[in-house]
Amino acid sequence: MSALPKGFAALEPFVGVWNAPDLAARAVLRDDSSEAGRLAFHAAMQPLVVPALDRLDGKQLDALDVAERRLFELLLAYPHVAMAVEVQGDAEAKHAASRRHMRITPPA
Amino acid sequence: MQDDDILDMLSVEEAADRFGRGPLSAAPYHDPDWWEREREAVFLRSWIHIGHVCEVPEPGSFVRREIEFARASLLIMRGRDGQVRAFHNACRHRGSRLVDEMSGRRSKLSCRYHMWTYGSDGALLSAPDFERFEVPREGCALKPVATEVVAGMIFVNFAHEPEQTAREFFGPIAAAMERLPVARATCFTEWTYEIGANWKTNFDNFQENYHLRFIHPRTGEQALGPENPFGYPTHYGFLGPHRGQKLWKNPDPPPVAGSLKLGYARVGELARREGLDFPKTDFKLFPCFHMVGLPPYQNYTHTMYPLGPDRTRGQVRMYWTAPPEDAAAAFTREFAAVTIRDVLSEDREAVEASQQGMAVIDHIHFQDHEVLLRHLYLEVEKRVRVHVATRTLAEAAA
Ligand code: FES
Ligand SMILES: [Fe+2]
Repeated sequence: MSALPKGFAALEPFVGVWNAPDLAARAVLRDDSSEAGRLAFHAAMQPLVVPALDRLDGKQLDALDVAERRLFELLLAYPHVAMAVEVQGDAEAKHAASRRHMRITPPA
Repeated sequence: MQDDDILDMLSVEEAADRFGRGPLSAAPYHDPDWWEREREAVFLRSWIHIGHVCEVPEPGSFVRREIEFARASLLIMRGRDGQVRAFHNACRHRGSRLVDEMSGRRSKLSCRYHMWTYGSDGALLSAPDFERFEVPREGCALKPVATEVVAGMIFVNFAHEPEQTAREFFGPIAAAMERLPVARATCFTEWTYEIGANWKTNFDNFQENYHLRFIHPRTGEQALGPENPFGYPTHYGFLGPHRGQKLWKNPDPPPVAGSLKLGYARVGELARREGLDFPKTDFKLFPCFHMVGLPPYQNYTHTMYPLGPDRTRGQVRMYWTAPPEDAAAAFTREFAAVTIRDVLSEDREAVEASQQGMAVIDHIHFQDHEVLLRHLYLEVEKRVRVHVATRTLAEAAA
């Protein structure tokens, strides 16, 4: 069985790297990532954001199967990486240091 | 109702004419004695945002809040009667802290020390060997703090008898907040931070656009244009101690970074699905509460709790009317949270640096487009002066 739904094989190398269960954990993935790691994930995920949204569309979140849940988590890691790559650019490392003070409250 | 209909909207010149120009003493931004007076005159007698009804959904649900400026631990609890109340987290027998957990659900609260037991409305239900105390049971209820719910948010006031209800205090802003997602929120995304800055230093940062181009060169560029290079608001609005602004609309904004558009792509559809309909909102509520509505989908609060003359805790909450129903909702919310947190962390860094020199500069200077900062300064100062004068009179009379 593949780790991701059909059509998303290009994201296989990022499973287990960019998956995390909640906003706080995904913010940490961004903080701890390397520039090369961000660029690679960004390049692979960008063309698949809309297909992923379409693939998961209309499904209740608690009804996602294991592969869909992985895809969902990768999808939610994307905003973090997009901000780093597309907006912060070369300021990302410095920005990460100030961002750490903004402590996300974990889900109850 | 829009902010425009609620606030007295003035042009920058009109606002400066009304509230003045020129330097002001920097002492209120760092002086420990001033802070002590401010604590008494402002924070112990104003309505302070401390939570949301969705945190105490069921009878018996409670949260504990440490309120440093009041040197108080509070329990916010929903009673069996459905009402939300706040009490000091202190046993009436001999003051023991009653609850250690930060949140939970209980039908009764028992003190570990001698087992005095209170109901969810704070009443003393039982106390071992109570006949040996010479005090009526009614006099032993948990000590209440004035509490009011407005737009789903819980406000407390440490005054023994607040001069106004919270609703009176907010005036027509209360009704405007009732229209926002916060009023029927069931969950929120939250982050908190500590900052080495006076609460006003921190709050002020969110009352001016003068810093945008310098502190947010990347995240703020949408708000700047050649005809308004600082992205100044077009109007400043006032209502009693509260204030707001009307932002300039950039007629020709630079293109949004590719993926950020994806974050907004479905906001209209989600807002319709969740039945949201609210105007752009930007209220700076006295003393330390900022309410922002970004139609069609985002609504966040930013509250600044002073910890001392040069230390503050900030809390940001993005309120949602329901848990995300599907991937599109979750993705859109994640984008919103990441974007706003990125911007606010740039602010935190700049504000902390700006506190460092407050004690040496003697005076601070506000330009006309910093009139909202001046307004907060004057509102605080007015209360401190009245408080000090009243205390001096009382002392003279005694
Ligand atoms: S202090 Fe709580 S029962 Fe004695
Ligand atoms: Fe800012």
